[in-house]
Amino acid sequence: MRSVRLALAGVLGASLLTGLSLTSGVTAQAASTAIALAKCKTTIATQEHTKGKLTVATDNPVYTPWFVNNTPSNAKGYESAVAYAIAAQLGVSKKNVVWVKEPFDSSYTPGPKSFDFDINEISYTAARAKAITFSTSYYDVQQSIVALKTNAIVKKHTPQELKSYQYGDQIGTTGLAYINNNIKPTKPARVYSTLDQAVLALKLGQIDAIVIDTPTGQYMASSQIVVKKKLLATQVGQFPSVGEHYGLLFSKGNPLASCVNVALAAMKANGSLAALQQKWLGIYTSVPVIKP
Amino acid sequence: MSLDPDVIASEETPYLFASKRSRLLVGRRGVVASTISTLVILGIIIAVLFAAPGGATFRYYFFDPHSMWVSWVGNPKLGIEAIRSGLLTNIWMFLVSEVLVLFIGLALAWTRMSHSPVLLPFRILVTAYTDIFRGIPLLLVVFIVGYGLPSLQFGFVSKLSLATYGVIALTLTYSAYVAEVFRAGILSVPNGQLLAARSLGLTHASTMRRVTLPQAIRTVIPPLLNDFISLQKDTALVSTLGAVEATRAAQIFESTNFNGSGLVVASLFFLALTIPMTRFTDRLMARDRARRLAVAS
Amino acid sequence: MSDVVLELDAVVKRFGENVVLRGISLQLHRHEVVCLIGASGSGKSTLLRCANLLETIDDGTITLFGQSLMDPRIDPDLVRRHVGMVFQSFNLFPHLSVLDNVMLGPVRAQKRKGPEVREEALSLLARIGLRDRADEYPDRLSGGQQQRVAIVRSLAMRPSLLLLDEVTSALDPTLVGEVLDLLTDLARHGTTMLIATHEMNFAKDVAHQVVYLDKGVLVEKGTPEEMFSNPKHESTRNFLERVR
Repeated sequence: MRSVRLALAGVLGASLLTGLSLTSGVTAQAASTAIALAKCKTTIATQEHTKGKLTVATDNPVYTPWFVNNTPSNAKGYESAVAYAIAAQLGVSKKNVVWVKEPFDSSYTPGPKSFDFDINEISYTAARAKAITFSTSYYDVQQSIVALKTNAIVKKHTPQELKSYQYGDQIGTTGLAYINNNIKPTKPARVYSTLDQAVLALKLGQIDAIVIDTPTGQYMASSQIVVKKKLLATQVGQFPSVGEHYGLLFSKGNPLASCVNVALAAMKANGSLAALQQKWLGIYTSVPVIKP
Repeated sequence: MSLDPDVIASEETPYLFASKRSRLLVGRRGVVASTISTLVILGIIIAVLFAAPGGATFRYYFFDPHSMWVSWVGNPKLGIEAIRSGLLTNIWMFLVSEVLVLFIGLALAWTRMSHSPVLLPFRILVTAYTDIFRGIPLLLVVFIVGYGLPSLQFGFVSKLSLATYGVIALTLTYSAYVAEVFRAGILSVPNGQLLAARSLGLTHASTMRRVTLPQAIRTVIPPLLNDFISLQKDTALVSTLGAVEATRAAQIFESTNFNGSGLVVASLFFLALTIPMTRFTDRLMARDRARRLAVAS
Repeated sequence: MSDVVLELDAVVKRFGENVVLRGISLQLHRHEVVCLIGASGSGKSTLLRCANLLETIDDGTITLFGQSLMDPRIDPDLVRRHVGMVFQSFNLFPHLSVLDNVMLGPVRAQKRKGPEVREEALSLLARIGLRDRADEYPDRLSGGQQQRVAIVRSLAMRPSLLLLDEVTSALDPTLVGEVLDLLTDLARHGTTMLIATHEMNFAKDVAHQVVYLDKGVLVEKGTPEEMFSNPKHESTRNFLERVR
């Protein structure tokens, strides 16, 4: 009996030790992040575009679920919430977060930026990273299809059938790239300056479908494309991930980026980033998956 | 009444040699001076591009050779449309538009200048037409045609390609300008030509066709060319309807890769299209001008 | 056909407030050469233009080949196919070759056959020694050559009356002679001509009648001998004095 108790104690002791070392590994990780964060809180003052404020840029107009009511400062919507959470991690109070409007097309042009970082569903690519600095991912993206309910694509979307439709999309988006690279339709996709123009074309029946990230697509189908309160469009399905993710946009070599990455790492470690995704984007993960 | 002698014949001997400074600008010395000044200006531009704090970023953004190549050939996998295929769209658009505009513009001008009472309602219509289409910005016309015609759902007219709508919009607008150019040309033919033609017993229509128009057309080649160069560049406006032509392809590349070298590529090719035409027409003009001045009114 | 080719009777022409022709009456017979002389602005050009209906008159009558030009049935284009006009500034068509200039009228206005017109045109050009320049453009010719082509251009229409409006006034003095020689030649061949001119010696040699206009009034007319040796009116005398 004594040997069993000894063995049990040994097992317990071992598991305790293992548990301790595991948590201490995690704790060690958390500890180094905390040290880095603390350091960032002191350096951030020198790195801000406007001293004392964290200047965050986004587009105009902006949509649900990324922002709510086109008002970034209300902390509602996934991107707004993430921006304020990052600020909090870096020791910047809510009232010191300043929002500016920056159209997507001018956010990446050379020259000094008028913001600390831009949050606007901008996908990371290696080529883009030559012109600006990206943060680490704050959201992993899947593309989806939005079409009018009356369109054939709603029922017929085998990989072969998908090639036959007329797609349209906003210039320079990964949705457009997905159409050309993965769907490869027989008719070239139509390209529009803004998402609004593509949506109008969809309404007018000039195009069959738009390809866009799942959360935006869900919002478009469920609230944006309406005539006389009747929902005209539907989200047909989402495509499997191809490794795409969104990053925050910084001017090239901006030292603030590394601190923001530390903040993001902390938020991933303590589960707060996942919680925000669940809160603002959770319902959208239930969209059916279709293959290109 | 007599004139003041000093006014008509001064006693002083006039000094005839040019000042040193103006001599510097003449002859061989002048060539040296202009070469130096050109080099200096070029040098300043290059220096700015390299020495300015933003120089490196600027050069990467607009003059990166790899990006220029990729934008030219395209890469559909990455959503990049080729500028060279977009350029084909621009080219066929302006070729078709220019031909249509020449004929329609001439028809409009002839109608407006006619004397026949039968054509009076048409003369009024033509005047209204030129007023309207020279007044509305081309971009608006592109929108009205490009979004309006399809929404009418009026048979095949509503199912044309976007570039075709572009051609329609360009033709409607530029015919109005060209009609006025032709009209000015017709009015500029010296009156003596009309007198000579009528004195031979040529009818009004025959005079117009055999004497006035041939001369008018030669006169208006420079302003016509101006309008056509303008038209060639305005083919880019069809991009607002969603069609992909050269400037659009360059923009797509810019948004996709955050690099504007495609814009430089597209610009170079637009220049390549227009400059030879300009030089050729310069020669045509010079030859015609010599002929016209020799038989001056 | 009657002997009177052109008859003006009390012709009045106004340009707005300005009265340019004040009651002109004259007659031109077949094979006759009449020279109009007078200062600039005396109405010579206007008179010529009324004769081929390039201008319409305000009062009086003009009778051409026995038909009144005032008659509403008159077709002006038809009139001009029978009356040739040559201008001070030549007015050759610069976009056509010399030969095409000459052929344009007969082929397009008179609807004659191309080959026949071409032959006639070439022989007319040969007559003025410019047949070898037939395919050149007017800008390559001297002023005198251009004016002679202009005259030939009118002759190709086989006109019954030729109107000439100061056709040597724009020419370099050395080139005047060749044009006047051509006109003298035409006169000798019996061409009916009404010529406005400053060339007094030419008028003396060639004209059957000389008419002097002053500010729209036909002051005096008569044979060259009468007019030049013994003008009756003071105004005529003064004018001839200044021109000598």
